[in-house]
Amino acid sequence: MEYTVKLDAFEGPLDLLLHLIQGLEIDIYDIPMAEISEQYTLYIKAMSVLELNTASEYLVMAATLMSIKSRMLLPKQEEHWEEDQDFEEDPREELVEKLIEYRKYKKAATDLKEKETERSMYFTKPPEDLTSYSQPVDSGEKTQIDLHDLIGAFNKLMRRKKIKQPMSTRITRQEISIEKRMSEILETIRSHRSPKPFSALFPVAEKPHMVVSFLAVLELVKRQEIHIKQDHNFSEIMVESIEGVSLVGQV
Amino acid sequence: MAKSNHKAITEALLFTAGDAGLSNEQIAKALDISAQDVEELMANMKQTYQNDSSRGIEVAVFAEKYQFVTKKALSDYIKLLADSPSPSTLTQAGLETLAIIAYKQPVTRVQMEEVRGVKTDGPVHTLLARGLIKEVGRNEGAGRAILYGTTEEFLDYLGLKDLSELPPLPEDIEEDEKEDSDLFFESLKNGLSGNE
Repeated sequence: MEYTVKLDAFEGPLDLLLHLIQGLEIDIYDIPMAEISEQYTLYIKAMSVLELNTASEYLVMAATLMSIKSRMLLPKQEEHWEEDQDFEEDPREELVEKLIEYRKYKKAATDLKEKETERSMYFTKPPEDLTSYSQPVDSGEKTQIDLHDLIGAFNKLMRRKKIKQPMSTRITRQEISIEKRMSEILETIRSHRSPKPFSALFPVAEKPHMVVSFLAVLELVKRQEIHIKQDHNFSEIMVESIEGVSLVGQV
Repeated sequence: MAKSNHKAITEALLFTAGDAGLSNEQIAKALDISAQDVEELMANMKQTYQNDSSRGIEVAVFAEKYQFVTKKALSDYIKLLADSPSPSTLTQAGLETLAIIAYKQPVTRVQMEEVRGVKTDGPVHTLLARGLIKEVGRNEGAGRAILYGTTEEFLDYLGLKDLSELPPLPEDIEEDEKEDSDLFFESLKNGLSGNE
């Protein structure tokens, strides 16, 4: 967490530099180094408390600006005619390239934010539960599901539960242990002969409960107590127990 | 089979599928028609829902899947039902990191940090946890750095059909202008003898 309000306004030294360049109405391709490094240093000094991780990056940039400034003051090399030498190199070149590259993605981030906002105006509904119609699957073929698929499914659930929440808020503080949830989930799955949909393991629309349930599912998978698979149909992730495994002991 | 029947079946299927959506192949299989026919049918359906102002639902295509969504213009009414009217959005750091990954993928963490000039561990972690990015492989050579790319969830999150629908990366128009003017001044300088 940041301690300074001022620093929070910027995404890093490049962002701060862009801000200064804009504020001073400077041509980015012809940065007056003395002025910009003075402004930059003032800004850094004005930040009373520096969060160390962030500060280091800001300080490195301060040093870079100083170094560029001093190189600009060196007498220019005479150009040699005989060798096919490049143009005289501008010490600012690398910094300018960096600034322009960063500015490009900063603009792109703004575009993505617009998309994000627009998308949040569309609402959908969860798919119907068709599991009672699903064919028992032969255990010969197992689809590989990785953690990423599970996280995706969990995120979808979180989104859905959000809209289901009641208008009023109750404050509850209840400790739920992962072990307890694991036993409950195993029981749920075992009492149910056919595979259960992943979403059915999250009956309580409260964040702590959902997170604990998710961790419990991960733990059960790791211990090979349950098996997770995905049909192609509506690609709902299904969970079934792996028979012949003893119930979870209280650890 | 009549077209109208196809529409009825598709409507029922889309309703059932909810936000899981239906791919072109799934519809083609259900109706026993070609992918090309599905394209036509869906374009037609999209039009039907969009143009009918007495309907509150339309067909959207997110991450290559057709799904029913409520119309954008009605979002305020739907938010009345919700507990917190604003969804949790990404931070500026998250958006910048996501932009770099979206346009440069596959990309390593070091490459992201080069562009932003700051550490990106936090944002990368958040984006992974939200399922918007994933590890897509390892870099060749020393270090075998993890390469990141965007997911289907990312497309859905931004309401994109596929990656080609990403807004074009803002290229620097000024840069081209600058080069032109450079050449201009260059020629001017060469024309004028003498030193600075």
